[in-house]
Amino acid sequence: MKTLLLTIVFAATMFAQDVVELKQPNSNKVVIKLMFRNGSITDPKGKEGLTSATANLITQGGTKEMTYSAIQEMIYPWAAGYYSQVDKEVSIFAFVVHVDFLDKFYPIMKGLMLTPAFAENDFQRVMKNQQNYVDQVIRASSDEEYSKKALEDLLFRGTNYQSMVQGKSEGVKNITLDDIKTHYAAMFTKNNLTIGIAGRYTDAFLKQLKTDVGMLSAAKPVLPKPGKAVMPKGIEVEIIAKDGAFGSAIFTGTPLAITRSSNDFAALMVANSYLGEHRKSYGQLYQKLREIRSMNYGDYSYIEWYNNGGGYMLPPSGVPRQSNYFALWIRPVQIAKQLHQQYEELKDIKIGHAHYSLRMAVREVDLLIKKGMTKEDFEATRTFLRSYIKLYVATPAEQLGYLMDSRFYGRKDYIKEMDNLLAKLTASDVNKAIKKYWRTDNMFVTIVTDRSEADELAKSLKENTPSPMSYSNIVKAGLPKEVLDEDDIVAIFPLNVKKVTIVDSKDTFK
Amino acid sequence: MKTLLTIVTLLLVAMGNGPLSAQEKILPYPINQKQLANGLNVVTVTFDSPGLAAFYIVVRVGSRNEVEPGVTGFAHFFEHMMFRGTDTYPREKYNDVLKSIGAGANANTSLDRTIYHMTGDATKLETMFEIEADRFMNLNYTEHDFKTEAGAVKGEYTKNFASPYQQSYENTMNTAFDKHTYKHTTMGFIKDIIDMPNQYKYSLEFFNRYYRPEYSTIVVVGDVTPEKVNALAEKYFGMWKHGTYISVVPEEPKQDTTRYSHLQNGGIPPYLGLNYKGPAFSDSQIDMPALDVMCTILFSQTSELFKKLVITEQKVRQLSGGASDARDPNLISIDASLINKADMQYVKDEIVKTVEAFKVNGTDEDLLAKTKSRLKYSFAMGIDNPSAIANSLCAYITLTGDPESLNRLYAMYDKVTVADLKAVATKYFIPNGLTVSTISADAEGGVK
Repeated sequence: MKTLLLTIVFAATMFAQDVVELKQPNSNKVVIKLMFRNGSITDPKGKEGLTSATANLITQGGTKEMTYSAIQEMIYPWAAGYYSQVDKEVSIFAFVVHVDFLDKFYPIMKGLMLTPAFAENDFQRVMKNQQNYVDQVIRASSDEEYSKKALEDLLFRGTNYQSMVQGKSEGVKNITLDDIKTHYAAMFTKNNLTIGIAGRYTDAFLKQLKTDVGMLSAAKPVLPKPGKAVMPKGIEVEIIAKDGAFGSAIFTGTPLAITRSSNDFAALMVANSYLGEHRKSYGQLYQKLREIRSMNYGDYSYIEWYNNGGGYMLPPSGVPRQSNYFALWIRPVQIAKQLHQQYEELKDIKIGHAHYSLRMAVREVDLLIKKGMTKEDFEATRTFLRSYIKLYVATPAEQLGYLMDSRFYGRKDYIKEMDNLLAKLTASDVNKAIKKYWRTDNMFVTIVTDRSEADELAKSLKENTPSPMSYSNIVKAGLPKEVLDEDDIVAIFPLNVKKVTIVDSKDTFK
Repeated sequence: MKTLLTIVTLLLVAMGNGPLSAQEKILPYPINQKQLANGLNVVTVTFDSPGLAAFYIVVRVGSRNEVEPGVTGFAHFFEHMMFRGTDTYPREKYNDVLKSIGAGANANTSLDRTIYHMTGDATKLETMFEIEADRFMNLNYTEHDFKTEAGAVKGEYTKNFASPYQQSYENTMNTAFDKHTYKHTTMGFIKDIIDMPNQYKYSLEFFNRYYRPEYSTIVVVGDVTPEKVNALAEKYFGMWKHGTYISVVPEEPKQDTTRYSHLQNGGIPPYLGLNYKGPAFSDSQIDMPALDVMCTILFSQTSELFKKLVITEQKVRQLSGGASDARDPNLISIDASLINKADMQYVKDEIVKTVEAFKVNGTDEDLLAKTKSRLKYSFAMGIDNPSAIANSLCAYITLTGDPESLNRLYAMYDKVTVADLKAVATKYFIPNGLTVSTISADAEGGVK
């Protein structure tokens, strides 16, 4: 009875149509985003990647009226564009067109969403690329992205969050064109849709858009409960060994109980920014690992999923999630093989910097949990954030995206609400939140590294062997005593390592 | 009535929301320029972004300027050193000030320039000027800091090296060029990166040469006025001393045969790149605008070649092509990601066949007009925030020193004729200017 009631409430809300509007009369374009409450968590077992394939086939295929090539030809002079983006819990279709061509573009958009062709030849082409992504691209393009996806594979093992959005090798192979047609009708419906629109459009246009998306499938999707991150037993490390890696790319993750929905999130934002603001030099991790010791290109921390962190400086919208985890990103550090070649004085070391850097990063979190932030650091970080988060919404498309994500989290305007919460915070609130939500004893760690490094690194981690920082002589000579003293402490900092496995790159994501 | 209408139209255009065809300049906002007595150019564009400003400094030094042997990658390394502090603002204090501004700040380096940027609260503009002027004039780092920072550069190389495409790009540039400094990538040769800690003295010379007003331009976009920006520039950068160094970059000799660059890697789809020597960027010669139009016609998703190889035959996953804008002649690259390596030669032949046909037949006027429209609308929709506008201006300041080159280039697109297209195809797409790059599981590329 309770389920039935909930369903009715859900349907009733959706019937009224969920619309996020952002009128900008000075803009020269219109941005439309259709967000479906349906992501990779609805992929059937054995057909992982189906939601992504469905969205891709819509945006990279034709409509009942026009072939894919005919659409591309028509929009070519307008430079209009559209794409889909699938995440764990939502799928977004975004369309951008200059106001000069909105009227001509609209029927194409309508055709793509309402009457996609789902043609066999488009299907073949789209699936070849998706298969290639899960088989090759993820393993061979960026070790950092690889270690991040491998971390999610560990954190969410056995749940509907485990698989990459693009799926896994066997799952993608099993997807048929009929699967896509069925999934489209069942999951991309008028009942799980939020309409977002920004720019220079008329009320009449929006009315038409609302009427037309009302023609989407009337099915009422029942969404599975999103899988929760598994609590590891101690620190569990997975080392992924591959050929020809220049360094060790590291990610760590541990379940986090809250998301943007919680008011405590503002406190964690401050703590996280202080510890490791993305691509900023102010964070403690960055300062200790990169700035003082130059071990790598950067080190950051995360209290929510950050899409394509290697590409974006500011967190992109469109990836809201209910299941969350706290992560550390240690960008590739040197391996022994490289250091041997570079420095005569390091020719006897058995491992590179992975074990040391992991110890250093975990210790920084540990210190923050134990000691908390000082009032001064809290004030400086809060001041920074209150200005910085406004940059997240500097473009119309991102402003719209953030407003739409706000709805997902039960908020109206996340950026504004966070600013208000930040204004009221105290250092004590932040330190309480750190103690409540963060931990260092239980976490998953993934390390993508060269085959030559794997065995010794695994041994060192497993046995909690001291891992002194191996500097070159020229750097070591100029380091102040306090840095060297801290190194001595870090070298023997106990990590609660309970399990270390080595996986061959070809055996990941199975 | 007519006058009133004209005024309304002009106003709309000035606000950037009139029909694009009615605009005289592609950037619908005036570019205000003022050159200080020391040679520093100051560029301001007022843009409707309440409370927000983008503050950029472009220094026209990049890996192109790395002319001495053993110091490739130095322009980029030096960009890192610029964050190591001054006497007034040591590293920690500089970071504290940056944090207090709440700006998104960073820097990046490429072939022809280094850009330092911060976007944030427009009311903090004076602080931005103050801390940037201080480090551009008074940078002061220890030899130890210098040696330490070299490790971060190696870390950056390590991160990039994971991509086979990056490795292939490095090989391709090294193969395509003999004398010109485009031979090495902005990261530099690995042997030079390893030697970086030993180049402290050269780093001081590097700063002395290039971090000078005549190499630099300040660009401010957003909720600002030219008067305010110019006054702040004078106040904080007015005493910056003009330098004496003139950078002489060796000219690349004419290539006389097709070259080949192969990377053995079976971990990614087979890749084929055809790289032809192209012209230097110019906003007054028709060659580069014509090449932009030609490559859009031949290699975009609507092209006949794309339809054949990607859509119909499905032998190629992705196809793209374009000429690199650079100060000196660089490459025009066509890239194809293949399904099977057995099709390498076929795909190369199809690309060459298409270009050869284009040399004779050119294209029809309708497609030419549509392509010009595409280029303009694509730009117009992208400039919706201060950082995007500042980045666009910096791109053209890099190339010619003058941000108006942006408007001039788009005006040049209008002048491109079918005859121009055939002419550039004939001039640049020749076997003697070609470097073929390949990635596959095989020991050799196997493409003739």
